[in-house]
Amino acid sequence: MMNTLRYLSSGIFVISPKLLTSSLPTSVKPSSISALARGETAGRRFYSTIAAVRTDLKVKCFSNMAAPDHKKNVDVKDDRISRISSSIRVIPDFPKPGIMFQDITTLLLDPVAFKDSIDLFIERYKGKDISVVAGVEARGFIFGPPIALAIGAKFVPMRKPNKLPGAVISEEYSLEYGTDIMEMHVGAVQAGERVLVIDDLIATGGTLVAAIKLLERVGASIVECACVIELPDLKGRDRLGDKPLFVLVSST
Amino acid sequence: MSAGENGGSGGCINGIKSALRVIPNFPKPGIMFQDITTLLLDPKAFKDTIDLFVERYKDKDISVIVGIEARGFIFGPPIALAIGAKFVPLRKPKKLPGEVISEKYILEYGSDCLEMHVGAVESGDRALVVDDLVATGGTLCAAMNLLERAGAEVVECACVIEVPDLKGRERLRSHGKPLYVLVESQFEPNSQ
Repeated sequence: MMNTLRYLSSGIFVISPKLLTSSLPTSVKPSSISALARGETAGRRFYSTIAAVRTDLKVKCFSNMAAPDHKKNVDVKDDRISRISSSIRVIPDFPKPGIMFQDITTLLLDPVAFKDSIDLFIERYKGKDISVVAGVEARGFIFGPPIALAIGAKFVPMRKPNKLPGAVISEEYSLEYGTDIMEMHVGAVQAGERVLVIDDLIATGGTLVAAIKLLERVGASIVECACVIELPDLKGRDRLGDKPLFVLVSST
Repeated sequence: MSAGENGGSGGCINGIKSALRVIPNFPKPGIMFQDITTLLLDPKAFKDTIDLFVERYKDKDISVIVGIEARGFIFGPPIALAIGAKFVPLRKPKKLPGEVISEKYILEYGSDCLEMHVGAVESGDRALVVDDLVATGGTLCAAMNLLERAGAEVVECACVIEVPDLKGRERLRSHGKPLYVLVESQFEPNSQ
C-alpha cells in the first residue's frame, strides 16, 4: 500500500484514487466484528457489518490541520491519526440514499484510538486559556467533556429544542429541507469567555454556525471549532468564515 | 450503595450535590427536574464526579461502558477513557447507522425504544451502564437487556443521581443487578 501513499510536503497523505477505483472490489469487506469487540490491538481493525460497507468509496486523507509543528514529531502523530482514521467506518445510504455516513462509534470501540483523538485535541487546546467547551448534541457530548475535563474548562451542551430545562436562548438554522433549532442555557457562558466548539463531524457547517451564533450572542469569543471528521466537499470550512476549524481526518 | 456512605469522599460529594440544580415543573407540571448541566459548569465538581466513578471501577475488569443517550454520553466516555474500556452509545431509534438490536420499554405513558449496535458488545464483555439519573429504572433495565442479549455480563449500573421514591433501585435488584449513585435527588430548587 505504501507506494500508493504520497507524502506531500504540506504533510497530507493522499490515497491514490486510481488504486481505489480500479482494483478494489466493490463488495463488502468481510468483518471481524468479534476481533474488534474483543479489543484486540494487533494492527488496525476496520469494523464492518453485513450492512454493506463500501470500502472502495472510502477515501481518507490525513488532514494537514493536524500536522505537528515540529518535524521530529511527525511519525508519532501520523500513526495516531491513521489509526483514528481507519477506525471510523462508513455506512452507505444512511440516513437516506446517497449519503455516506461517517460512523464514529467504531472509533469509540478502540480505546487507544479514542484516547488518541482526545489527546490530539488536548495537546492543541491546553494552555490556550479556553474556559468553555461547547459540545453539540449528541455526538459532541462524547468528545467535548473529556477535553473540558483535561483543560479545566466548563462543558456546555448545545441541544435540540425542549431538552434543556430552565431559561434558554434559541437559534434557528437551515437544514437541506426545512429548519432546526439549537438551544443553550442562559447564564452558562459569560461575555468575554473563550470558547471551543466541538462536534464529531462538520459537513455543511450549518450546525456549527448556529452554535457560534448562540455563543456570540452572549458575548463569548470563539477560539476555534474542532471536529474529528471534515467533509470538505460540503464546504463547511468556508461557511465558518473567520472562525478557524481544526479536524483530525478529512474525508472525501 | 451510594457514595454518600463513604466518609472520605464526603467533601467531594457535597460539592457535587450543591452544583446540581432543580427545575420545577419540567418537562411537565409536578416534576422536579434534576439538572446536571450546572455540575458541568463547575470543572472541579465535574472532575470529582468522574474521579469517584473511576476509583470505583478501575480495578473491576470492565471492558465496556454503555452510556444512555444523551446525558449518559457526557459521563460515560470520560470514565471509559480513564479505565481503558470501550464506550458504546445506546440510542433512541434510527440514530445509530448500520445493524442494531432494539429493546422496547414502558414509560409512564406509552413506550420507547433503545438501540445498540450489533457487534459492539460481545459475549464475555463485562459492562457498566452509565446515565445521569435513575428514576423508575426502566431505561436502565432496557439497557441491561440489550447487553445481556449480546452476551455481556452487567457488573453494575452507575448514575450521578437517584430519585429514591421512584424505586429504580428495587427494580434493578429484581433484575439481579446493583446500582451505584453519588447523590439522591433534591426537592428544593437551589438558589442558582
